[in-house]
Amino acid sequence: MVFLAVLSSCKKFLDVVPDNVATIDNAFTMRTQAMKFLFTCYSFMPKNGQLADDPAMVGGDELWEIPERGAFLDMAKGFQSKVGPLGDRFQVMYQGIRDCNIFLENIGKVPDMQETERRRWISEVKFLKAYYHFILVRMYGPIPLVKTNLPISADVNQVKVFRDPVDSCFRYIAQLLDEAAPALPLTIISPSTEAGRITRPIALSLRAKVMVTAASPLFNGNSDQASLKNGNGTQLFNINYSKAKWDSAATACKKAIDACTDAGMKLYVYNPSFQQFDLTDMIKTQLSIRNAVTEKWNSEIIWANTQSNTVGLQQLISSWWDPLYLDGVITKGELSPPLKIAEMFYTENGVPIDEDKTWDYAGRYALRTAMDADKLYIRKGYITAALHFNREPRFYADLGFDGGVYYGQGRFDDKKYMDLFYLESKFKQRNGEGKYGANTVTGYNLKKLINFQNTINSSNDYSVVDYPYPIMRLADLYLLYAEALNESTGPSPEVNKYIDLVRQRAGLGSVAASWTNYSTNPAKFQNQDGMREIIHQERLIELAFESQRLWDLRRWKESSKELNNPIKGWDLSQTTPISYYRVTVIYNQTFGLKDYFWPIAEENITDNRNLVQNLGW
Amino acid sequence: MKLTIILLIATFLQVSAASYGQKVNLKVKEATLENVLKEIKAQTGFNILYNTNALKDAKLISLDLKNATLDDALKKSFEGQAVTFLIEQKTIIVKKKPATAGAMEVKPGNLKITVTGTVRDSLGTLPGVTIKIKGTSLGTKTDENGKFILDVPNDNAVLVFSFVSYLSQEVPVSGKNVINVLLKPDKKSLSEVVVVAFGTQKKTDMVGSVTSIKMSDLKIPSSNLTTALAGRAAGLIAYQRSGEPGKDNADFFIRGVTTFGYKNNPLILIDGMELSTTDLARLQPDDIASFSILKDATSTAVYGARGANGVILVTTKQGKVGKAQIAFRLENSISTSVRDIELADPVTYMKQSNEAILTRNPLGVTLYSDEKIANTAAGLNPIIYPANDWRKEIFKNYTMNQRANLNVSGGGDVAKYFISGSLNKDNGMLKVDHRNNFNNNIDLTSYSLRSNITINLTKTTEMIVRLSGNFDDYTGPLDGGAGMYNKVVHSNPVLFPEYYPVDADHAFVKHIMYGNYDQGGYTNPYADLTRGYMNSSRSLMLAQLEAKQDLSSVIDGLSFRVMMNTNRTSYFDVRRTYNPYFYTLTGYNPDANTYSIKNINEPSATEYLDYTQGDRILSSTFYTESMLNYNHQFKKHGFSGLLVYMLQNNVSANAPDLQQSLPFRNIGLSGRATYNYDSRYYLEYNFGYNGSERFSAKHRFGYFPSAGFAWSISNEKFFEQIKPVVNNLRLRATYGFIGNDAIGSPSDRFFYLSNVDMNAGGRGATFGNGQGAGTSLNGVNITRYANDDITWERSTKANLALEVGLFNKLKLTAEVYSEKRKNILMSRASIPVTMGLTADVRSNVGEASGKGVDLSVDYQQNIGKDLWFSATGNFTFARSKFTVYEEPVYDEKYRSRIGHSIYQQYGYIAERLFVDDAEAANSPRQNFGPYGGGDIKYTDVNRDGQITAADMVPIGNPTLPEIVYGFGFSMGYKSFDLSAFFQGLGNESFWIDANATSPFNNQTQLLKAYADSHWSEDFRDVYALWPRLSPDINNNNNQTSTWFMRDGSFLRLKQVELGYKLPQGLQQRLHLSNFRIYLNASNLLNFSKFKLWDVEMGGNGLGYPIQRVFNIGLNMSLR
Repeated sequence: MVFLAVLSSCKKFLDVVPDNVATIDNAFTMRTQAMKFLFTCYSFMPKNGQLADDPAMVGGDELWEIPERGAFLDMAKGFQSKVGPLGDRFQVMYQGIRDCNIFLENIGKVPDMQETERRRWISEVKFLKAYYHFILVRMYGPIPLVKTNLPISADVNQVKVFRDPVDSCFRYIAQLLDEAAPALPLTIISPSTEAGRITRPIALSLRAKVMVTAASPLFNGNSDQASLKNGNGTQLFNINYSKAKWDSAATACKKAIDACTDAGMKLYVYNPSFQQFDLTDMIKTQLSIRNAVTEKWNSEIIWANTQSNTVGLQQLISSWWDPLYLDGVITKGELSPPLKIAEMFYTENGVPIDEDKTWDYAGRYALRTAMDADKLYIRKGYITAALHFNREPRFYADLGFDGGVYYGQGRFDDKKYMDLFYLESKFKQRNGEGKYGANTVTGYNLKKLINFQNTINSSNDYSVVDYPYPIMRLADLYLLYAEALNESTGPSPEVNKYIDLVRQRAGLGSVAASWTNYSTNPAKFQNQDGMREIIHQERLIELAFESQRLWDLRRWKESSKELNNPIKGWDLSQTTPISYYRVTVIYNQTFGLKDYFWPIAEENITDNRNLVQNLGW
Repeated sequence: MKLTIILLIATFLQVSAASYGQKVNLKVKEATLENVLKEIKAQTGFNILYNTNALKDAKLISLDLKNATLDDALKKSFEGQAVTFLIEQKTIIVKKKPATAGAMEVKPGNLKITVTGTVRDSLGTLPGVTIKIKGTSLGTKTDENGKFILDVPNDNAVLVFSFVSYLSQEVPVSGKNVINVLLKPDKKSLSEVVVVAFGTQKKTDMVGSVTSIKMSDLKIPSSNLTTALAGRAAGLIAYQRSGEPGKDNADFFIRGVTTFGYKNNPLILIDGMELSTTDLARLQPDDIASFSILKDATSTAVYGARGANGVILVTTKQGKVGKAQIAFRLENSISTSVRDIELADPVTYMKQSNEAILTRNPLGVTLYSDEKIANTAAGLNPIIYPANDWRKEIFKNYTMNQRANLNVSGGGDVAKYFISGSLNKDNGMLKVDHRNNFNNNIDLTSYSLRSNITINLTKTTEMIVRLSGNFDDYTGPLDGGAGMYNKVVHSNPVLFPEYYPVDADHAFVKHIMYGNYDQGGYTNPYADLTRGYMNSSRSLMLAQLEAKQDLSSVIDGLSFRVMMNTNRTSYFDVRRTYNPYFYTLTGYNPDANTYSIKNINEPSATEYLDYTQGDRILSSTFYTESMLNYNHQFKKHGFSGLLVYMLQNNVSANAPDLQQSLPFRNIGLSGRATYNYDSRYYLEYNFGYNGSERFSAKHRFGYFPSAGFAWSISNEKFFEQIKPVVNNLRLRATYGFIGNDAIGSPSDRFFYLSNVDMNAGGRGATFGNGQGAGTSLNGVNITRYANDDITWERSTKANLALEVGLFNKLKLTAEVYSEKRKNILMSRASIPVTMGLTADVRSNVGEASGKGVDLSVDYQQNIGKDLWFSATGNFTFARSKFTVYEEPVYDEKYRSRIGHSIYQQYGYIAERLFVDDAEAANSPRQNFGPYGGGDIKYTDVNRDGQITAADMVPIGNPTLPEIVYGFGFSMGYKSFDLSAFFQGLGNESFWIDANATSPFNNQTQLLKAYADSHWSEDFRDVYALWPRLSPDINNNNNQTSTWFMRDGSFLRLKQVELGYKLPQGLQQRLHLSNFRIYLNASNLLNFSKFKLWDVEMGGNGLGYPIQRVFNIGLNMSLR
């Protein structure tokens, strides 16, 4: 009896939990807590530009990596598989979407918020929900849409969802973005604390990209995917081509451009208020090109990812250009553009190298010595491949190569051209193979993403000017508009206008003038197909190394053409120019139909048999 | 509740201090004789022995004595009384005067003669011995000094002296007034009092399944008690994976593992305190009085929620009344690795490194020039052409360890004591560089001190205070011993020497010039070993107060006991390190054989030691139990009952989040009732009613009943005939339920609450003008979804046992058991990732079952006077399987875990190595990365043309052994004794860690076995040990597969011991009660198919090897 009495009195003994233990409701009791949840919704944004998180860096054919790093390079090499798919985002994006839905369900409860702000936050989260869905569609094609959250206690059959057809997916994403846009601010009022938050131009630009993607061949009438059907028979790809998709894509792009213009955005041109040295136009153009990406929040940045820091990336891709500090351990000299990327850039006349009447295409691998006219691009007197001569400014702004001048990085006076840094990439030279550690694997280095003000101060001190990695900039939007318009209405002055704006900033003449004067196919720009080719190449060049090529080639269904070629570079184990400048195959890349989409992880399918696997996996 | 405890303590603490002296001062008026005698006892310290009845009618006394002698005082007090006295040793015995006996008779029958006496055994007097007059219920017990007084009716009476674990003796009175008896221990039943939950039971009365281990079996040449367990007790699955001092705890499980939660090891109770495996490991066998393993439902039921995985119950020794006994043990041992991993020599290493690069990429750049290989092979200048045998440079071949233990015990009628202290010193095998003035070798010195004091507060009240402390002082290398073994295997042997000798250019340097290469990014294990050291200190303090009150005066056979204890554990470590100066070779002139070196890390290197704080772990436990116990024998009916209330509270200083910082609590009420009839039929019922704070209020308490039955067939009448052959035949059966609240993971404190991290760094975001500036906020992350239906894991256990004794020599116990666990917490597998959950949803859906057999055999025989022989053997088989396991609906039936062991591994079936690239290209696609000729070919089990997770099948035996057995013998001839013990295990598979042993990857060394047997382009052995070499990890080859699966079974000669005891006569002359010297050795012989390293280490072969120990010891007792 005594025991029982004691026992009952001691039931309280087990109540060890204090009343105010955090639960999910705590997140919405006050504005400051809800703000944390808003940030949580943002936290799922993929970190563009980071090797481990961005398949578009080394997962395609734009950059090749030293093998030991693994990561997405295995995908580029054809080792993608349904057993633990490389770069799988299926789970994490749905986690992000769930948090977005939790936010949308609960934000109404927060008492101490102004309605304008509440609407802005709701719009931001709707945007993110759309963005996360878009990321999934781009990777996996048709996906299950999660418009609202299912409860934890949901029935087993209820949670086993089906994939939704691609058209429904794009429609839903566009709809969310439509809902989001109006309540978003046109510009960020307080950039020092809010830059990177979603604005109306961002929402409309993403909407433009979504619509263009939906209209692109991969999703618009792709009969290759005709047999992808749900178990219940639902066809997941619409196999009928619809031009109307291009029409609305063009409209969406124009609307986004207008919003950007309203927000005061324009293509970036290097024109500092203070200038220590009187720079040549050549270098100014180069800086316009480089800084459009690497100068944070410049006038053409629509959306940059403040979650993705570029210090590590810049260290990784910087080479040992300063002969004083060859044993530097912070610079890595990695990520090498293959030869085909070097060949992709135009000649100085703004046309492809195999179309330029004035450029010796056949003799491009012959040796040539740099003369006075080349001195700001190639070290004077240096012997290098003819391929490196007479190219467009973007070639020199984007790439480092054997003999190539590396303007900036502490040496800013272009009059003292012999003081400027340059690369030496032959065997055991400072930027070549044979050094311990990493090096270029093709003979080329990536220069574009390195801020020109970075300097190597000592062997273990490299000061890096950080910038948030751009997700969308105005040039991207202009080229999307040109592309959509060309598909929708065919070539027109309006199409040319937006391409020419981009070319002008890159120091090139207009499409019409360049092709008419220099191309072996001078009328190319006058028909839709020719213009399409021009727009595609312009886009690949302008947005090179900005995590775009992989997605663009896929949506154009051009990967199977581009990625079925060997990755090539120079013969890095050679010390003399004559033997170094021999084209060497680094890897025989293959790309099959199945590779257009990621496989759904096998385990996700065993968990939910209603999910059908993508074709070919 | 708390108040009650305080009151109890207060009562028990009222101990009156007594002053002792031979002179008596008495001033009493009309006092009873009893009170007067008590006063005399208090003043003189003499004991008084009397029958209460005899004093009842004594006259009242008035006295006034000053400084009287004892004799005087007594004479005065007994003047005119019907009783008289006599003094014997320090005891006053009150007895009837023969002349007046008849007149004073009050007891039934004719109590004519008063008999006194002392009962002893070979060591001293025996308290608590029952003395009965044969054929009656009259009797008494000896007091704490072993003395008794009893009135017997006549000369013909026969006294029966009986005591647990001693042979009963019958002594006829035949006119004697003093009967002194020497009881002989019952050799057969000496070990047959078994410590069970909250008490002891005679082995012959047991219903539940309890195995006890003899103390002598636990005395092995190791300072870790847990390493002695394997093979010593039926029902215990045990193995040891590492030999590193301080980290060599064995893993042990009672009857295998039938759960897949985190808590699968037994509850360890030392003197009723719940303690950790390490605390058990540090316990000294010399201090242990009993070691029991409780296996089935009835024996563990009273522990309710804590006992589901079995219980190990240890009690420490108590003092005995008598002169101080001093026992001393001293041991010194030499220990060396049972088996070291063999590495390829440096030249082979370089050759095959080049092979690895070229075989994977014909254009690859090899690391070692032919010139370097040739010159290294020729043994040219070792500074220029280093060829390090890192293992020899880092490790010694053997090490010495010392152990000492001293204990003193004894006591008088007021108190008894047992005090012991011990010191164990275990050294590691690492070398020390004497240019440093610190010790970087492992030195684990552990001290323990124990004091168990029993105080008799009153005749019926006893108080026990146990204080003990255990202190580890550890010094060791920064990476730990296992870490150093690992580094040896992962360090390049040919790039640089361990250090450069001081040359003319560097004559001024005070530091060691460690070798390194290139930019200095390589591991120099010698530098890592000698660059500093780690100190750690662990203490465990335990204090326990126990009080027992005999309530026989209220109800015969009733007693009450309260016990409370607390223990405090603290641990901290610090590291002191310098940043080594690394040098690299900069020039070599082969003609002059001169070289120069330069420092490569000047800016970061230091000559002075730096300090870093390590872990600081503190925890505190409070536990209390109150117990009511009842024992009664009524004719042939024996009853006992037990009711226990217990409460436990744990707090820990190191909690990663709020929920884990809250106290861990447990309360419970348990009970036991037993009944036996005529020592033939036994019934037992137990229950535990327990509460745990982890569950929601509606599921917080669980009720776990169990019942058992036993039948001693050999005590039946009809068995009399067979008894000479089958001296014992007994059947036992039990069935019951046990709970487990330690489910999920320790971090899952409150399943009914969601766990939300409101400050999750991983879910944060940053905005603003670039990084560094701007707004950064951490986010919200849900790490657990609330589920208030989560409750106890519930186990149903059944046990059936047969005990057979043959010819009084052979004892056999065979038990079969089965167990069903349900409500095992597991993640719901049916929730697709599209739900977007950030944590698993879990519920009590899993079920598993286990079954097995425990067998033990003991044989004992004396041949003549001088020769004795005994043999023992035991065997445990425990097999578990999933019965309900939530998993996806697989297309392939073989993927389901149901029906397989909890420790079953799934992997690919490796057929062989691909003959060439063409075969690889034409076989089913393997999805793990690049592969070709010489890589492992897996079977496409489901024939879908691809190797995917769907091709993984159950392979091999479970990773937890299903069979553990041990057998051995001991024999003695005159003063010599010899024993040997073999131990083995079976039905276990393990996997060679292909990632960790993959040669050349991150400078990993080449195992000799791999060097000797791998696929190469010249010798395409498709069944070679290692696939085609590769400079880095090949993901195709490191999948879990049958390729690297090995049989873990082994048999080893675990221990051999030879001892010599000084002859009795000599011992007595030297005032010794025991003097024995012995030599023993452990792990002398191994029988296993696996040769790369010691098989017991399993897949962890790159760690600190298990040790072979040679030991010399001395045991000495003084009296």
